[in-house]
This record gives sequence, structure tokens and C-alpha cells, in this order.
Amino acid sequence: MNEQMVGTLVQATQEVFETMVFKSVALQTPIYGEGLRPRSNVVALVGFAGEISGLVAFYSTLEAANEIAGSMLGVASSDVDGDMPDAIGEVSNMIAGAFRSRLAEEGMQCAISVPTVTTGSNFYTRCISQVQRVLCPFTMDAHEIFVELIVTKQ
Amino acid sequence: MRVLIVDDSSTMRRIIINTLSRLGHQECVEAGNGREGLDRLATTQIDLIITDWNMPEMSGIDFVRNLRASDKTKSVPVLMVTTNAAKDDIVEALRAGVNNYVVKPFTPDTIKEKIEAIIHR
Repeated sequence: MNEQMVGTLVQATQEVFETMVFKSVALQTPIYGEGLRPRSNVVALVGFAGEISGLVAFYSTLEAANEIAGSMLGVASSDVDGDMPDAIGEVSNMIAGAFRSRLAEEGMQCAISVPTVTTGSNFYTRCISQVQRVLCPFTMDAHEIFVELIVTKQ
Repeated sequence: MRVLIVDDSSTMRRIIINTLSRLGHQECVEAGNGREGLDRLATTQIDLIITDWNMPEMSGIDFVRNLRASDKTKSVPVLMVTTNAAKDDIVEALRAGVNNYVVKPFTPDTIKEKIEAIIHR
């Protein structure tokens, strides 16, 4: 993992939010390594594999996820109902897809998986393999959302 | 103009429908994958297809190949909307018979331009 990859992920996230969620997200200070994992009720994961392998993870609270879904669908967040996991899955899919495309432009080919979305409370995610991690916090209106890049150590 | 939207994400189908509505296209039909898309085409007159690539049961590329193999549907214009942005992907889609291509994420203006380019061809 290098700074350029992190920059690529940040750009992909900001582009997806501006064009599809109609919200600006402002990057805060990235956190490298096995630091504190964000408190979240919604986690979306998209895997990638090829010349480089790992995960793109998205974390948010339920409230933020419903706001994102509502904004994408053009409805109030209170009216989102069962559409939120699909919407968050699609956001994660687009972030990972844009990240993958930029890697390909730099000569690194990989494929991405379908997204999985977990909702609930009192759970955490942990990588079994040796990985490098960087957690990118963003502010979105009154909320905090997180996008993480996890790369398998070669 | 009646538009068939083929995507396994209900969110993406709603986003495209909302975008089309703002562009003045109110008649939309939905399908969750290529196979469902073919089922819709068997019973409904469709003027434009907007399809994703990566879908279960039948991918967007296989769906388009099926369309182009049938006399009934070979001339229906197709816009592909997908996260697959590599040049090889775009070439493969065009060879399969896609008329135009949009990479996600997209703006409503991009969809509008691509549809107008197809209609006025």
C-alpha cells in the first residue's frame, strides 16, 4: 500500500458521494494500522483480487446510512425502509469500482467482488491474514462515515 | 419512449428511473437481471434498454448478445451503465452490440447526453 493508493480511494469516495449521493464528504486525518475501529451499525465490504488483493470497507451509523440512501433515492431518510442495504452496497460497489479502474490505469489489474452489507450492533470485523490497513474518516453533514482500504501483505 | 432498465440493484434502478423522469421519460419497465430482461422484452414493446453488466443469472453482456441474436430485438438501442471502466471492457461491450456506455458513478447530464446520442444516431 502506498500514499497514491490512499489518495485514489479518497478521490473515488468523494466522486461517488458528489455525483450519486449529492453530498460532499470532507476527508479527516487517515488512520494507519490496527487502530480504533469506528463505532458503526452498517458495514459494507467489497473484495478485490489480482495483482493486488484486499478489501474496501465502508462504515457508518444507521442514521447516516439512511440519509445516504434517502439522498440517492430522492426520499426522506425516514422513508428509506428496506432499501438502505442495497443503497449502501451500491455506494461501496461504486467506490471499489472507481478505485479498481484507477489502479488499472496505473497498471495494476484486479477484479472486484459483489458487495456484502452487514447491519446491526455489537459486532466487529477482523482480518485473519496479515494486512495493511488505512481508515479514512470523512464528515458528511452532521455525520461521520469511514472508508477503509485493507491490502494483503505480499 | 418506453425504457427497460436491467440492474440487480433496486437502488440503481430507482436512480435511473428518477433521472429519466426528470428528462421527461416516464414509461419505465424494470428487470433484475438479463434473463428477466429477456422475459420483459417477450411481452412488452421497448424503445431503449439501459443495462448493468455484472448481474446474477445472466450478465449484461450475455443479455445484449441474446438481444442481437434475435430478429425481434436486434435493433433495440442499448446503453450500458456499469462500474467496469477498462478499455478492454468497453471494447467487449461495443462488440457485443452495446450502442453506448456510461461508467458509474454518473451525473444525470451524462445519462442525458448518452441517451440523446443514441436517439439521434
